[in-house]
Amino acid sequence: MRERNPHLPNADLIRLADGECGPAESAQARAHLESCWKCRSRLQELESAIHDFMQAAPELPELPSPDPARAVFRARLSQLAAEAPPPRWNAFWRGVPALAAAAVAIATILITFGGTVNADGPKPRTSLTPGETRPVSLAEVCAVPEPDPEQDNETARQIPVEMQRQVFAAYGMDPAQAGAYEVDYLITPELGGAHTVRNLWPQPYSARWNARVKDRLEHRLHQLVCQGKVNLATAQHDIAKDWIGAYRKYVTPSSPR
Amino acid sequence: MAASLQSAAGFFVGSRPAEWSPLEEEVTALYDQHRGPLLRYLGSLRVSAADGEEIVQEVFLALFRHLRQNKSRANLRGWIFAVAHNLALKNRAARLRHAEVDAPGEYRDPGPDPEQLAAGNQRQARLLAVVRALPEQDRCCLSLRAEGFRYREIAQIVGISLGSVANALERSLSRLSRACPEGAERT
Ligand SMILES: [Zn+2]
Repeated sequence: MRERNPHLPNADLIRLADGECGPAESAQARAHLESCWKCRSRLQELESAIHDFMQAAPELPELPSPDPARAVFRARLSQLAAEAPPPRWNAFWRGVPALAAAAVAIATILITFGGTVNADGPKPRTSLTPGETRPVSLAEVCAVPEPDPEQDNETARQIPVEMQRQVFAAYGMDPAQAGAYEVDYLITPELGGAHTVRNLWPQPYSARWNARVKDRLEHRLHQLVCQGKVNLATAQHDIAKDWIGAYRKYVTPSSPR
Repeated sequence: MAASLQSAAGFFVGSRPAEWSPLEEEVTALYDQHRGPLLRYLGSLRVSAADGEEIVQEVFLALFRHLRQNKSRANLRGWIFAVAHNLALKNRAARLRHAEVDAPGEYRDPGPDPEQLAAGNQRQARLLAVVRALPEQDRCCLSLRAEGFRYREIAQIVGISLGSVANALERSLSRLSRACPEGAERT
């Protein structure tokens, strides 16, 4: 028991009542409550404040009828659902692992990516993919919870087939080779990247610096931006200019395995 | 509108608007379930009823996109409130910018609803006044706790630490119990 002030502060009483104390803390606090009427009556006061609040708090007061809003919602939902996500290259290839592996092998041998291929795989070409942003406020960027790097892998974004085709064409790639690549946003939409061809590039699955690695960078940057530690424009600039450099700067200086 | 339910689960029909995919049904069910509590929470963030309705719709359209991408289904209720919270802040920032144009430097709390004052008893009115006067973060935590969220979830929704949640609740409840002491007249 504490020496100077043996009584339980209000914060502890509330956490105890809310079941937010660990077992040891909770046992100790309960023992004190059994022995102390003072604290018990204070707990009673807090509980009655909760009671009063629940009585007085708007019990879903005169809510407008749900029906008109619901009808509008269903119409909007139906419209959104009708914009069916197009089939994705990677989804297709994932279903055919043997073919995908073969394609990766062939593509690695054949594709010369305008001289930018190296051990780390091709990089986005500034002339084709400078990276474009859409006008978006910081609040909008941070309105959506951080993309989870475990969940938000390459399945996360749908890019229309026609746009993917344009990207492959711009990079001079045969669509038959495209299976080893994912068309990905350079500046991720979660950081205000635009849904335009000039913000898209073919990213190899196989390279060390692949989409999954880039997802980690995007997750980190989103965090930093929304914590106010990095300026949104800086994040966009850095990821567009050299996302691998940005990864080393914001995530870790070491290369992914 | 009579919605014919898909029998084959997971079968997605986008081109026939008369039919609802299982995901649409699921999201609509969540909308029905959470609309009221969300509007109430948005009210505690001083979002108007009309804006609240719009925000709720945006939240569930975002939820549909989220689920369609097979993203995490862990704690959807927390996810829903977190998105609503953020959209509410964004909405209010926009409103404030507007208000500055209309009436420079003036932002007035609408104060207690006259209906509540007339219909409710004095104790209730006083209590609501205390709630209204709470710092916004404290009011958010109190409202979310009243919705049944645990401290960890509240921390995630509001974007603060666990300790800040506990402090916010302590401040709020202490103020409420001081303002309306036990045994004070109840009408
Ligand atoms: Zn005591």
